[in-house]
Amino acid sequence: MWENRCKVAISGVGFSKVTRSAEIPLAAHALEAVKGAVADSGLAMSDIDGLATYPELPATGHAEIDGITIVSVNCMMAMLKLPNLTWHIQVGTTNIGGAVQQAVNALLAGVCKYAVVWRAMHNPKGTYQNLPGGQAAGAAQFTAPYGFGGPGQGMAVAYTRWLERNGQDRTKMATLALTQRRHTQHNPHAFFYGVPLTREDYLKSRMVAYPFCLYDCDIPVQGAVAVVLTTADRARDLKPTPAYLAGYGQRLYFEVAGRIGSLSSYMEGGSSSAKLTWERSGFTPKDVDVAQIYDGFSASVIYGLESYGFCREGEALDFIQDGRIELDGELPLNTFGGSLGTGRIHGLWHIIEGALQASGRAGTRQVKDANVSFVGASAPIVTGTTFIFVGEPY
Amino acid sequence: MSDWSKVTRPIPVPNEWTKPFWDAAKRGVLELQRCQSCGHFQHPPYATCVKCMGIDLKFEAVRGGGAIYAYTIMYHTGDKRFAAAVPYASIIVELDAAPGALLAGNLLDAPYTQAKVGRRVEVVFEPLNDDITLPQFRLLDAAPAGQT
Repeated sequence: MWENRCKVAISGVGFSKVTRSAEIPLAAHALEAVKGAVADSGLAMSDIDGLATYPELPATGHAEIDGITIVSVNCMMAMLKLPNLTWHIQVGTTNIGGAVQQAVNALLAGVCKYAVVWRAMHNPKGTYQNLPGGQAAGAAQFTAPYGFGGPGQGMAVAYTRWLERNGQDRTKMATLALTQRRHTQHNPHAFFYGVPLTREDYLKSRMVAYPFCLYDCDIPVQGAVAVVLTTADRARDLKPTPAYLAGYGQRLYFEVAGRIGSLSSYMEGGSSSAKLTWERSGFTPKDVDVAQIYDGFSASVIYGLESYGFCREGEALDFIQDGRIELDGELPLNTFGGSLGTGRIHGLWHIIEGALQASGRAGTRQVKDANVSFVGASAPIVTGTTFIFVGEPY
Repeated sequence: MSDWSKVTRPIPVPNEWTKPFWDAAKRGVLELQRCQSCGHFQHPPYATCVKCMGIDLKFEAVRGGGAIYAYTIMYHTGDKRFAAAVPYASIIVELDAAPGALLAGNLLDAPYTQAKVGRRVEVVFEPLNDDITLPQFRLLDAAPAGQT
């Protein structure tokens, strides 16, 4: 087990307004979320001495404009002018989960006391994947000429392989979409709060990239979320009940850029990250009371459930049936609605919900007696990270 | 059947690693990068052998028969260059001669509904312009009677 388990905690959490497209600069969303997280902790902004983010804009073909389409650490520093800042970082080999892990490391190293991590996501005007131009360079020269555009297609090809090799039926995924949408109705910050979804809606919805229909894809939105991390002893003096970090991991596998359609890239990525997390925390999948698994495209949940070890390969679509992922089920899943419910904010919201469930702060969607709270914070491939939070340090 | 006639495919831009692949395709030959140390074929081309870290890599001709490894049917018309062809099948093919090397393509000369994991395909060549020819795929076995 990891000697640093339960030595760092997530304290406050914050949310901006989530809108379909940009009405105000993205920096304003990030600022709202960060202020919210700091206030939730009962801290003053001047207490914050660490900053971390992953500022990538996943929409291709759009300019990265700091403060408008991304919110970098520099942008946040310029806005906050923190008088006591001692540490900051932006990560690249993982998604936002890596920024959280770096903040954990900085807190353990004693180079900052209260770190804020945010994820701000922009929805550009016009087509999300803006793919003009007559040329395909780099890794795209082997994919773009065949009409492989956005990341949805990249994940869809692996999904057809998973479905047909396992003799599975994509309509079973309706259960995930519906259950998560019901969970969303307990999360007023979510884009689809107040918007129900029926099984018929799912089954009749238009195809986007088979096997993905509309409701297998998270809706692009503009918004931001943020967390305050601190050491466990400091967290106990703050307003919220701490969510202690029991362990974390990151994917340790990469296949050559441009190689798409490979299922093994998801499975190896997920299992390598989860193995570290199970070993460091001392828990196993059977110990988990509640799970958040990244669902930007629904099939990510399949790869997550299987590669993390919650069920065997080929079984995930059966595993999610029969009430197992309901709030009172055997493995309540994506209890905040997931990205399918909140809109595309990436994995920091999964981490936030993992922390809220561990600390008993999830309101009407709180899973009863939840202690061991698992998070898979992005697709197991390429950017995957995993976490376990607990309410009771050990 | 998908109508490719109005599609404007982006033209591949060869680089120092990939030029031999495109030069061969122009001659109607499929050549993949092969490690001269361990014999492993790989695609897309890379700086080193992903199996043994060898750096002596050469392009060698391979037979164009293989199977559909994975596929997706594109319905979304967000990419205007391809909107005229939807729905269309974008496929990933694993060649018999190069296990583990995955080539993208479209399923030509067949309805998109014929794309299934495991179906046998063979390479065909689709010239885009004077410089670039795309390797593409078509089914080896005819569709079962009555199916379209």
